[in-house]
Amino acid sequence: MSEPFEPKIIAFVCTYCTYAGADLAGTSRLKYAPNVRIIRLPCTGRISPMFILKALQKGADGVLISGCHPGDCHFTHGNYHARRRWMVFRALLDFIGIPPERVKYSWISAAEGVKFAEFINTVTEDIRKLGPFEQYSQLIGQTEASASL
Amino acid sequence: MSIEEQYRTRAKELLSGGAVKMVIGYGKGTTPSRRRPLFITSPDDVERLMLDDACITNLSGYLVSEGLLSDEKRVAVFLRPEGIRAVNILAAESQLDAEQIVIFGFDVSGNEVQALKGIHVEEFSDVIRSIKEGAPEADEEELFEKIEKMSPQERFSFWQEEFAKCIKCYACRQACPMCYCRRCIVDSNQPQWINTSSHSLGNFEWNIVRAFHLSGRCVECGNCDRACPVNIPLRLINHRMAEEVLGAFDHFAGMSKTQEPVLASFKKDDSETFIL
Repeated sequence: MSEPFEPKIIAFVCTYCTYAGADLAGTSRLKYAPNVRIIRLPCTGRISPMFILKALQKGADGVLISGCHPGDCHFTHGNYHARRRWMVFRALLDFIGIPPERVKYSWISAAEGVKFAEFINTVTEDIRKLGPFEQYSQLIGQTEASASL
Repeated sequence: MSIEEQYRTRAKELLSGGAVKMVIGYGKGTTPSRRRPLFITSPDDVERLMLDDACITNLSGYLVSEGLLSDEKRVAVFLRPEGIRAVNILAAESQLDAEQIVIFGFDVSGNEVQALKGIHVEEFSDVIRSIKEGAPEADEEELFEKIEKMSPQERFSFWQEEFAKCIKCYACRQACPMCYCRRCIVDSNQPQWINTSSHSLGNFEWNIVRAFHLSGRCVECGNCDRACPVNIPLRLINHRMAEEVLGAFDHFAGMSKTQEPVLASFKKDDSETFIL
């Protein structure tokens, strides 16, 4: 009996909004998919595209990025900068052949515990449908094999 | 008088009058069809300057060489429109003072070399605007469109094959006028974001990051593409990024020396259709 595929998902969230939103989801006893590992950062503006690549390289099937709604940033405009960066980075990933569906973005405030739980659930389902993403994490193994020839 | 001679005369005047301390131009290369960057400080050497359709390298990168402009003296440089745009970006990013740069502008169409009128970057804004309006296409438009039409898996395999050739020599970085960081992210090892060995993973990460750092800054001069010893079509990735920032933010790199860098600025109503 093969078990259903359980995707590994990494979430990069900002501490002021989405992390607090996740906290609210927890204290409200909302149940959501356990596939997400949350990494808390000071601001979405702190999320370097390298984080996303690293997560994929280390075997993540999907990456979530979430922060304060535009206008609500603790640092006034960190999320505006982040938004531009993602826009460009998404296009780059797409052109290189990394499906943009694997990297999801969202704004979740500290008051949106329900939205957080729902977001995690939908994304987990979406990634589960896409299946494991081994293309990227396997890059290293492929070369090692050919090098031993 | 040909443009080559005109520019030699101008270079001679500038150097002998002390208006500039150096002229960066093109000289004889290793083969008759190649030109090599030439750095002239004495008016007696201007005869070595050459200008023809083989002068393709973007020389603007030499302007940010350590210490070159720190004495506040002027430097003259031969630049095509892409090079002029690069100077604008370097000035916008506070890497140089545009006042110190005297431009010998030229453009090549077919075998014809035309002089571009002007001395300082501001005077070329019409030329740059007309390039933007002409919506430049990728150099290998066919291949570019082919890649665009592929499925993500096909694209991934395409680039995997291309990047497999990469030997991590970083010639693309060295040749790029925009890669002026004293310490490149790929040289940083605490933490080591990019695998330095030239296996597929390291090659992927390096080329993704290189393209990302150049998005909205690349002027598509083609220096990286020509420098690449294994002929990875790097210019296609850069072109895709240029298209994206032009479409999404109406940003055309190097329009003026006061243009805000696209990823260091924002508008409150930037598109966010992809954000849930």
